[in-house]
Amino acid sequence: MAKTLKAVLDDAGIPMDFQAGGLAPEGLMDREIKREPHPRVQKLKDIFMDTLSSASNEFPYWYTREYMLHDNDVPVVRRAKALKSAFSHATPVIIPGELLVMRKAPYFRGSFPMPWLSEGFYMAKEDEFYQEALKRGSASVDEHSKFGQGGGNVPHSFGKVVSIAGKFGMRQEEIPALLKLARLWYGKSVDDLGNRYEKMVPGYGTKEKIMRNIVCMFDSGFTLPQGREVINYYYPLEYGFDGIIKIAREMKDKVAGRADGDGMVGMNRLYNYEAVIYAVEGIQNWVLNYAKEAKRLESIETDAKQKKEYRQMAKRLEWIAHNPPRTFIEAFQMIETVHIGVLNEDAISGMSPGRIGQVLYPYFEQDIQAGRTTEDEVLELLELDRVVKTSIDCFASIGVVGGVLSGNTFNTVSIGGVDREGKSAANRLEYLILEAGATNAMPQSTLSLLYNEKLPEDFLMLAMEVIKTGSGYPAFMSDGVAQEFLKNQYGHEGMNVEDARAWAIGGCLETSACTWKPLHLNGKEYWIPGGAGQPTSVGVHFISMPKILELTLYNGVDQKTGEMVFAPHNKALDTYEELWEQYKAYWQEAVAILALTNNVQHDIWRKNNMAVFNSMLKPDCLDKGHLINELGYRYNATFNVESAGTITLVNSLAALKKLVYDDKFVSLDGMKEALTENFGFKTAQEINSFSLADQEKKEEGADKWDKLHFKTLQAPKYGNDDSYADNILLEWENFFCPDCRNYESLHGHPMYACQISVSTHGAMGSATIASPDGRLAGTTFADASMSAYPGTDRNGPFALMNSAAIWDHSMSQNSQLNIKIHPSAIKGTEGAKKLLDMIRAYMRKGGFHVQFNIVDSKVLKDAQAHPENYRDLMVRVAGFTQYWVEIGKSVQDELIARTEYEGV
Amino acid sequence: MEKLAYKDTRNFAPIDVTKGMDLISKQVVMADAQAPEGTEIMPKCKFCKNFKETDSFMGICQASMNEPKFIAYPDMVAITCGMYEAM
Repeated sequence: MAKTLKAVLDDAGIPMDFQAGGLAPEGLMDREIKREPHPRVQKLKDIFMDTLSSASNEFPYWYTREYMLHDNDVPVVRRAKALKSAFSHATPVIIPGELLVMRKAPYFRGSFPMPWLSEGFYMAKEDEFYQEALKRGSASVDEHSKFGQGGGNVPHSFGKVVSIAGKFGMRQEEIPALLKLARLWYGKSVDDLGNRYEKMVPGYGTKEKIMRNIVCMFDSGFTLPQGREVINYYYPLEYGFDGIIKIAREMKDKVAGRADGDGMVGMNRLYNYEAVIYAVEGIQNWVLNYAKEAKRLESIETDAKQKKEYRQMAKRLEWIAHNPPRTFIEAFQMIETVHIGVLNEDAISGMSPGRIGQVLYPYFEQDIQAGRTTEDEVLELLELDRVVKTSIDCFASIGVVGGVLSGNTFNTVSIGGVDREGKSAANRLEYLILEAGATNAMPQSTLSLLYNEKLPEDFLMLAMEVIKTGSGYPAFMSDGVAQEFLKNQYGHEGMNVEDARAWAIGGCLETSACTWKPLHLNGKEYWIPGGAGQPTSVGVHFISMPKILELTLYNGVDQKTGEMVFAPHNKALDTYEELWEQYKAYWQEAVAILALTNNVQHDIWRKNNMAVFNSMLKPDCLDKGHLINELGYRYNATFNVESAGTITLVNSLAALKKLVYDDKFVSLDGMKEALTENFGFKTAQEINSFSLADQEKKEEGADKWDKLHFKTLQAPKYGNDDSYADNILLEWENFFCPDCRNYESLHGHPMYACQISVSTHGAMGSATIASPDGRLAGTTFADASMSAYPGTDRNGPFALMNSAAIWDHSMSQNSQLNIKIHPSAIKGTEGAKKLLDMIRAYMRKGGFHVQFNIVDSKVLKDAQAHPENYRDLMVRVAGFTQYWVEIGKSVQDELIARTEYEGV
Repeated sequence: MEKLAYKDTRNFAPIDVTKGMDLISKQVVMADAQAPEGTEIMPKCKFCKNFKETDSFMGICQASMNEPKFIAYPDMVAITCGMYEAM
């Protein structure tokens, strides 16, 4: 039997199952806290647990049919008419027991393709579309992305079900229509049209090579063009849909035929308001169709209680289809409707509800005071909302949904933070939101706690209890660091202290610009926060930092494919400084070309596929008459440059500096040879596994690299409060964050740094050869941007936090630190206090984000061996929580291998 | 009367591509299983006078305003379609 990486690491004194601060108890240890949802919720949750991700053609069918009918109309109106038709024809499906309704598609966990965005990825692999997508590099990452084989994923076709993109099931009867609809968009989709024009950018050839070799994970303009933002529910809550249409009609009268000093887009306001009316009418029809279905169900129902619930549901839906909500449950149904409506308008991940504890508080407060509802009923609704949100799927390619999102769609709820005046914003409803996160622990909505010193102690301690359920949430984000970033990035657009206080997390970890609006309910005014910024995590998507290092070391040539990605630098790299300078030069070359080509893609998107419904929700579109494409949003400087593999790069540079340049233990050529030879291990392709634990040594001549491999593994590593490695991180951050401002978005604003990896560390690691830190070819990078590489943080969590806080986190939209702790380490009230103290210490040092997996690694190993026993086991990956059985094996292995802290 | 699969009946609420809930019995049933006799038919293109089959699982909607007439597929639910005419 060939020696495994695990054995090699054991020999090197860096065991993969390293335990810091003590030893875990023997035997499997479950989470300390377990709670149950209300019986109604449990029934629906049970249905979800046995539900497959299912795709339908209904929405794209009606959208396409209407769109093709209006080829002579103004683009924004044409799109709005298509949206109206699609919403108006969506089949309502209501499952008994539900109180909050409206679905993406006529399935419990439904979704649908949007061929007007991109159509090549779901065609058969032999199809010309798919081959074209491979050539462009937009499908290359699919080859390196793996879904979990369990849960609701449909990785293989069976019976009358066809698997699409390894994730979604579609009835075979619908496949011919799927293909026919896709062909109608060939050459017209944002993907195809964007590609036609991005080819005109000088240096486009380099961009294709960057994508083909997975130096960058995926394109931006046609994959998930919206999301990673905070939605805004204010206008429907304050005015109702009839009120919005009234505003739009009045504004049409005011702007028709007038430029009002804006000769470029002033006249467009007329068409934009017309489009808003069509889109809102579509939403109204959609809601009324659900109301009609609820009435029909009432007529056939024999159970008196269920019959009454259908009747009340129908009344609620009929009311909110036209009017502002009056009660908590009406308001909740309204925001649920708006949320799903926005998600159906575009391919979106990370449309975050934001601070719904603030948004819904007026209705909660008044209903409780009037005795119209109880806290228990509110808790039940919050639990139901978690079933609805967890059921949200996004139909995209395997590279995007699997390689990046791990199937999650990041409908994040933020709690805590401060109010408009800077006082603690925590309210009673937010306590219940936290509680619902424990009583109905499901991946969505994941919770982000906006940490501020003013938050009450019992609120924070409740958060500790929820963390102990093993849900992976709430994550803690620094309110102060975020506000500082927002004022710096959006100051030139008018961001002030007040608006900065309204912020929330969009997507999994994206600091998002928001604002306050005055909501009126029964004569009382409440200032509620909501999104006011464009999508984030758009622009230059994940660039693989270790891959850029590979290209630097090998004179521009990708060692996996042999393709020359960048022009040769022809430098000897005799000094560390020369290596570092060349690294930065290649990095900048990649960012520059990706910024330009993605600008073109987004420009095509905004010309033909602009948001109408989502746009009109966001201040100040309805007031100005300009939608997202004409910068109607209050904050538009949202484009970014995303990095991936930060700590793998830092550790690799530390190893090169130490072993090649400082100690001269090995020559650069010697190191390169070892990397090419994968330190004497078989390739991941040979053993058909990209997981850390599975890597095996070659049978013969494998010892040649042992000594060097041992030294690379023992070289200074980030996460130990060791300045040798940490200063490299500091140098990187002080280059990367300011450098992002050198690139301009299509909106004419400077970009900024975004440092989350989501799941890209798995797919990108799969495409990258061994790295100088001792990591083997094809295996994952370190998770997130501030997490240590598995097993290398050996001095305790405070040392890890010191390493992470060495740089100024407010220079970046985010940073990300994941820590795994054994349940026994934080047991009881004392354990909870210790955990809170640790979080506080990190926030006070200037850290932006930290989150925890409270889990026994032995449980994870058992779950990998017996997935059938762990359908509901959840883990924290990057910035989100996901079911264990729905994530790919390489990421599972990385999670198992992470250092497990036995004491804090 | 022709026997119907659950997925072609009005009181079948689809859960996913394989199964759904029989809204009368509240039981989860397989989409392709045979529904009880007398179950109300679900309006679908394949049961509509305006649907003309052109190929396997494909056809056109003769009521569409598009020229040429727009595609349709037999299994599409038509309860929200104003042009649906039962055969």
